[in-house]
Amino acid sequence: MEKVFTRMGDASGVWLSKEEVRAELEEGTNDAADRGKIPPLTEEELDRLFDICTRREKFVSVEPGNEVVVTFDAGTLKMVRVGVPVDRSQAILIHERALGSDTMELAHIDYSYKQIKPIAHDEKYYMEQAQLGTVIPLFYGAMPNVGLYTQPDGPVPNWSELLPMGKITEAQAAQEEAVEHAERDMVYVGSKMYEGGADGINFDTTGASGDADFLAALRAIRALKEKYPELPIELGMAGEFVLGMHGELYFDGVRLAGLYPHDQVKLAEKAGATIFGAVVNTNSSKSFPWNIARAVTFVKACTEAANIPVHVNVGMGVGAVPVFDTPPQDVVSRASKALVEIGKADGL
Amino acid sequence: MNRDEVLANAIDAMVNCDEKRALEIAEKAIAAGFDPVDILSEGFSVGIRKVGDLFGRGELFLPQLIQSAEIMKKVTGVFESVMTKEAAEKKGKMVIATVEGDVHDIGKGIVISLLRTQGIEVIDLGRDVKTEKIIEAALEVDADIIGTSALLSTTLAGQKKLEDELRKRGLRDRFKTMVGGAPCTQRWADKIGADAYGEDAADAVEKALALLGKG
Repeated sequence: MEKVFTRMGDASGVWLSKEEVRAELEEGTNDAADRGKIPPLTEEELDRLFDICTRREKFVSVEPGNEVVVTFDAGTLKMVRVGVPVDRSQAILIHERALGSDTMELAHIDYSYKQIKPIAHDEKYYMEQAQLGTVIPLFYGAMPNVGLYTQPDGPVPNWSELLPMGKITEAQAAQEEAVEHAERDMVYVGSKMYEGGADGINFDTTGASGDADFLAALRAIRALKEKYPELPIELGMAGEFVLGMHGELYFDGVRLAGLYPHDQVKLAEKAGATIFGAVVNTNSSKSFPWNIARAVTFVKACTEAANIPVHVNVGMGVGAVPVFDTPPQDVVSRASKALVEIGKADGL
Repeated sequence: MNRDEVLANAIDAMVNCDEKRALEIAEKAIAAGFDPVDILSEGFSVGIRKVGDLFGRGELFLPQLIQSAEIMKKVTGVFESVMTKEAAEKKGKMVIATVEGDVHDIGKGIVISLLRTQGIEVIDLGRDVKTEKIIEAALEVDADIIGTSALLSTTLAGQKKLEDELRKRGLRDRFKTMVGGAPCTQRWADKIGADAYGEDAADAVEKALALLGKG
């Protein structure tokens, strides 16, 4: 029986029969449909995905006309992370001139709005300098990270300590207070960077600290858009559903905990976001066909619901890309093609 | 109520975080002469594992998970008053930590909450814990299981370091080991020689009980 080379979610190689690949695709799409309460992929879409997964080429790409733009999260810092010792402005130039990036994001190693606040005046100069040397749109980005507002590093009691003690009301109150602080810092830094020349602001890995994190970002977007109606804002998520650390937080009457991408994007629109960065987690114990069928199912539901561009996160651990420091091109290229051509992603 | 109805009601009360109803069911089950261990393990325990599963799907949230764990504690207290000494004993002792260099512990906290509801005594060493400290603590409390969590692909090696260190010190057979965390897989557990891999909180509980011979 002919076997197809593919990978598991931790990037290890595996040979599957074509029947096994098909079964994995079906199981993956059904898992997404069940969790997200959304339709599974159609037979035709599964056929297309099967073709992408089983092609013999090591590297695949979209068909002409299906090209999409790319945005980044913390992109400026990733050259150093792979051992290339360049500073941030050089990293931006490499992305623009050597790698052909459509946009880029200026970011600081302390990648949280709380940490950026005291150095925002310095960051403005970096932005100004970076803008002088580049043509592509340049975002400024960081994470909301409401967890940083907890004691001993911040002003509010630590809900991760309160919850195990059964102090639910106190834990919820602490999160509500943290939302206020985070929103204020995001609006402050976002304003400074926009006035310093940023072409856009990125709220990245939103929801990493749960529903309070997501609420803070939505409120900050609304406030920034009221202040600067022309400011483009990208809202990127941390996980496929909003973790209910609080459980009772609402934005415009919608409970945030448990929302999947197709519901998240509607709130992002309401808040005023310009681009939505959907996330679907990779299961490291499952195969690439299982993960990509699942990711495409969630993304398709999200792009169908969206009225703003959806830029899907396709990096280590998300968008069917394996949880591995240097994700292999074979599956990264397949994930990108599938998410764009079947999931109808507007960007990556 | 027959046994099946008691079990179904117990599961339902846990999933709905209904403390009053859960305690009523426990009292009624005792009064009707049902086996407390059976009602606890096949009813209430199944209910709280279901809560863990729903949490993993984004259908229930952390406060409800914590609330359920609190209810489970109270229900267990009610049953323990009528259980034999052997039945009421803890099923085992587990030392648990997030490995050195890793500060992520949301998932570990959830696993601990569920393990405790299943009668396992858990000693939480916190996060960013050195291998040496984990082994010392396990020896000190005479643990049955050592569990380690890692969220980062860069800190995952801490779980291998534990296995290596246990072997080096001739302690490997003294403890069962369990691993978990986003980059962790069954293959990784097999590769480093861990005894079990917990994919999520509910799975971790099943595996821990199996390691203790109580599954």
